[in-house]
Amino acid sequence: MPADSCALAIAVGENYRQRRAEQHSGIRNPTLYGNQRGSLAAHSNRIDDTSLIREAQQGNRAAFEVLVRHYDQSVLRLALHLTGSETDAQDVYQEAFLKAYKNLGSFRFECSFYTWIYRIVTNLCLDHLRKRNVRKEDAPVAVDASGEEYSRIEQFADVRSGANPERDLMRRELGKKIGAALDILTPRERMVFELKHYHGLKLRTVGEMLNTTEETAKNTLFRATQKLRGVLAEMR
Amino acid sequence: MKCDWVRQNILFYVYNEIEDDARYEVEQHLARCPECATELKATRKFHAVFSETVAEPTPNLLASSRMRLQEALETAHTGGFWQRLIFEPAAWLRQVRMAPALAAAIFIVGFGGGIGATYNFLASRPAITEANIGGTTDPLTHSPSVDASSIAGIRSVTQEPGSNQVTIKYDTVLTKEEQGPLNDQNIQQLLLYAARNNYNSGVRMDSVDVLTQAPNDTRVREALLYALQNDTNPGVRLKALDGLSSFVQQDPQVRDGILRALISDTNSGVRLQALRLVEPLKADSNVRSVLTRLSQTDQNPSIRSQARTMLAQMPEMD
Repeated sequence: MPADSCALAIAVGENYRQRRAEQHSGIRNPTLYGNQRGSLAAHSNRIDDTSLIREAQQGNRAAFEVLVRHYDQSVLRLALHLTGSETDAQDVYQEAFLKAYKNLGSFRFECSFYTWIYRIVTNLCLDHLRKRNVRKEDAPVAVDASGEEYSRIEQFADVRSGANPERDLMRRELGKKIGAALDILTPRERMVFELKHYHGLKLRTVGEMLNTTEETAKNTLFRATQKLRGVLAEMR
Repeated sequence: MKCDWVRQNILFYVYNEIEDDARYEVEQHLARCPECATELKATRKFHAVFSETVAEPTPNLLASSRMRLQEALETAHTGGFWQRLIFEPAAWLRQVRMAPALAAAIFIVGFGGGIGATYNFLASRPAITEANIGGTTDPLTHSPSVDASSIAGIRSVTQEPGSNQVTIKYDTVLTKEEQGPLNDQNIQQLLLYAARNNYNSGVRMDSVDVLTQAPNDTRVREALLYALQNDTNPGVRLKALDGLSSFVQQDPQVRDGILRALISDTNSGVRLQALRLVEPLKADSNVRSVLTRLSQTDQNPSIRSQARTMLAQMPEMD
């Protein structure tokens, strides 16, 4: 049995790293996510999680921490994309996993742990987005060193390569536009788009996570992309 | 007309959310219709724009988030799982299996008489006796009298400073008998203990057998699951499976325990029985993944083929 669980752990590691690599490469092959869901490695991941969850439910904190490691990068990504701020993202991350830890007892394996944890995070982010929409008018505007206003999302646009300042500027401009475009979406539209586009989830799963139907998720995605395309067109 | 429909679906085509037959239609149409092909190009461009310049968490952010969480977890409690404490002694007891007398000392004594007699059960239980031994000639003149053969172990020997008074704490083995109906608390407690700890597999089997008659209690179910997972005797494990069989469908914990046995039990007879028990659940995705694994890696050819058959009967639904 120990040998088996080692093998499973390796399979999980490989699968997870591969998914992350794909997420960061910017190469988005739409079919890739569909295939991965059906792979045996993904299924093995779930068996592995089952024993971890059991252990954690019995109070084994180390098991919970391993479980967290399986998902926390995606969770942090989700939180950062939706809140646009590192501090807020960290807060959401913290709240989500603490909530998961406290409510682990009520997890009865009726869905995957993945769906369950994502539901918690999306709900927290939706709350955050709604609060932010309300405060938009009187929200303090961030001002940088040169006295220029900038939106928080721009803060994190990729400015790693100092070699090509012109390209950097263009990317920052684009990042600003994208941030502004995403801002016009309703919280739910924003959420559906985020989960579909940046996390590659099937709309059926998105529906599950947001407590709605696949059909509704489809319509929401359509509306969201129409809005985004409209805004982008205006900006050019 | 067709273009409208295609335009509606181009987005889902790009996001791979389109059904197979619709995808075929769309592709066929795109090959012939330049306007829709342009629309496809535009949608793909949109897709690409939003895939760049996205802020990703830095390794620093992840690391500090993890640390913060760890600190918070240290002060948080899971809450509500302390029913597990009832069985914590069992883990300790496993270690002291060779000293059943000492081990049983943990159980709180308080057995009253049973009501009616439908089942007999023999228990070994020690008594902790303190014997003050004074003098040097005959150390065993004080009551209770000590029969050397019943001494299970000496716990402590302390001498009063500046005197010849010695206090020795020792355990004795005391054989007692408890009678009572199945639902009697004490009987249940003894049964649960016996299922986990008795060094005699016959006794373990008997107790598991009796427990299978009363599996509505979650503690009993847990004892059966424990026996399934940990008992060294395959006969006992089979008995435990029998007891759990009626709960596979409703209790996910039972289901998972049986799945675990399917993967890791060394005895093929046990695995076969477990396989039979999960049959009604073969559409469940957890079960399916185990079956897939079984069909490929189980050492027993009969199990492999049965798993394969089960998988074939219920096609993949994802």
